[in-house]
Amino acid sequence: MSNSSYISRKQELPLRGENTSLFLQVIISIAVFIFAITLSGVLSIDSMIDNWNKSILGSLTVQIIPTNDTDKEKSRAETLAYQEKAVDFLKSVNGVIKVTPLSDDQLTELLSPWLGDEVNISDLPTPRLIDVKISPDADIDFSQLAKDLAVASPQASLDNHKLWLNKLIAFADGLNLIASTVLLLVAAITSGAIFYTTQMSLGLHHNIIEILHIIGAKDTYVAQQYAKRMAFLGFMGGAIGLFFAVPSIFFIGNLALEIEGGIISDAELGFTDWSIILALPLFSMLISMLTAYYTVKKTLKKML
Amino acid sequence: MAGNNNIIEMNNVGIRYDQGPEILSDIKLALPQGSFHFLTGQSGAGKTSLLSLMYLAQKPSRGQISVFNHNLNFTNREQLASLRRRIGVVFQDFHLIDHLSAFDNVALPLRVCGMDEHEIRKRVTELLTWVELDSHMSDKTSTLSGGEKQRVAIARAVINRPDLLLADEPTGNVDNIIAGKLMKLFVELNKLGTTVVIATHSDKIINDFAYPRLHLQNRGLHIYYPSDTSVLGGLNV
Repeated sequence: MSNSSYISRKQELPLRGENTSLFLQVIISIAVFIFAITLSGVLSIDSMIDNWNKSILGSLTVQIIPTNDTDKEKSRAETLAYQEKAVDFLKSVNGVIKVTPLSDDQLTELLSPWLGDEVNISDLPTPRLIDVKISPDADIDFSQLAKDLAVASPQASLDNHKLWLNKLIAFADGLNLIASTVLLLVAAITSGAIFYTTQMSLGLHHNIIEILHIIGAKDTYVAQQYAKRMAFLGFMGGAIGLFFAVPSIFFIGNLALEIEGGIISDAELGFTDWSIILALPLFSMLISMLTAYYTVKKTLKKML
Repeated sequence: MAGNNNIIEMNNVGIRYDQGPEILSDIKLALPQGSFHFLTGQSGAGKTSLLSLMYLAQKPSRGQISVFNHNLNFTNREQLASLRRRIGVVFQDFHLIDHLSAFDNVALPLRVCGMDEHEIRKRVTELLTWVELDSHMSDKTSTLSGGEKQRVAIARAVINRPDLLLADEPTGNVDNIIAGKLMKLFVELNKLGTTVVIATHSDKIINDFAYPRLHLQNRGLHIYYPSDTSVLGGLNV
C-alpha cells in the first residue's frame, strides 16, 4: 500500500472522464465566442449613440431660405433682414445661451467640399445659417419653437439635429435589440445544453447517486459535484471562446475604422466595455454552475 | 405509533411493483431499540424488499412506516437523508463505487456528513485494518475479490456507528473464520446499542446466535424465538 495514495480524495461521481465534457466545452467556447462578438457590437452601438447624442446636445441650427428675387442684391438684403429677425427672436427665447449667424467665410468653408474654393457665395442663392447654443437644462418645446420662429421670421426653418438623428438612433436601437436577442438566445442554448447534458449524466450515474442517497447524502451533496465540474468546463470553455473572440473584435473594429464618413468611427469600446467582455469566462462559469446545480436538484427531487 | 423506543414500526404495510401482485401484504412489525433479528425466508419471499423499506429506499404501496419515530408519510427529503445517516446497510451485491478505492468507499458515510478529513483517515484506517484490508486501502474495489468487497461493504455500513444496521447476506462471500469475525462485530455493535437485522440463509449462523427470527412466508411476516420453533403467529408488536 502506498502511504498517501488513498488519502487523495476522488469525487464519487466520475464526471471528469465523461465523453460529454469535450462536447460541452466546445459548445460553451462557441457560445462565448458568439456572445463576445455580439456583446462588443451592442456596446459599440451604445457608445456610438452616446457619442452622437453628446455631439448634438445643446445645439440646433436655424436655416434662412433665400428669397426668390431676380435682383441678387435685393434678395441678399431681404435674406439678411430675415436672418436678423430670426436672431432677435432666438435671443429672446428662454434657455438660449448664444446665437451666432454664420459669416460668408464660414458658409464658403462649409460649401467648399461641394462647390470648390473659388466660388463667391454672394453670387449664389445659398441659405444663411444660424448656430444656436442652448442650455443643457433648457426645457424647450422644439415644435412650438419652430412655429414661433416661422411667425417671427417667415423664411426661417428650425433644424433640430435630434429630429434626423432620432431616425438613425432608432435604426441603431433596432440593431441593438436584434443583438440583445442573439445574446439571450446564446445564453439560453448554452443553458439548455448544460441542462440536457447534466440530465444525461444523472441517468448514467444513477447507481452511484442511489448509493450516495442510501448512505445519507443530501441532494446538495450531489448537486455540488456537478456544479463544481460544470463551473470548470464553463470557465475553460469561456476562456477558449474569448481567446478567439478578442482578435476578431479588433479585426472587425479595424474594418469599421476604414469606412469613411466618421459615423462608425464613433463606435468605440471603453475600459468598462472591455472589462465586461473579458469577464465573460466568469459569466459562463456562473451560468454553467447554476444551471447544473439547479438541474440536479430539480431532477433528484423526483427520486425517493 | 410515535414516541416509543421502537426503531422501526410498520402497520399494514403492503408493497407491489407497478401493477403486479403484492410481494408483501399486511406487514406488522416493531423493532425495539437494541434488538437483534435474523430475517429469513425463501428466495423471492421479499427479504430484500422488506429491507429496502427499512433503509428508506422506497415507499410502501400502502400502510404506514415509522423510522426513528418519524412517520415517513410526513417526512421530507432533507429529513429522509438525515434518517438514512443513522442506518448502515450491507447489500448482497455490495453496492460499492467501483472507481473509488476501498478507503474512499468506506469513508463515504463520513464525508457526506462533512466530517474532518483527519478524523476520517483515522477511523477508516482503523476499521479497514480490523477487517484485514489494510493492504488494500488504495485498491479500487473493482480489483478486489468477492470476500474483500464484502468486508469493504460491511466496513462502510458500520463506520459511522449506525443506530440501525441492516445486512443482506453479509457473510455469503467470506470463509467461516471471517464470517465468525464479522458476526462478532455485529454482536459487539448490538451490545453498544445498534439495532441489527440480518437477512441470511445460513442455518449455522442462525443456530450459533440465539436471536429471534423474522420469517417471510406467503407474503406475510412471522416471528420465531430461539426457544420456540413454532410459528407464534403473533408479531413483535
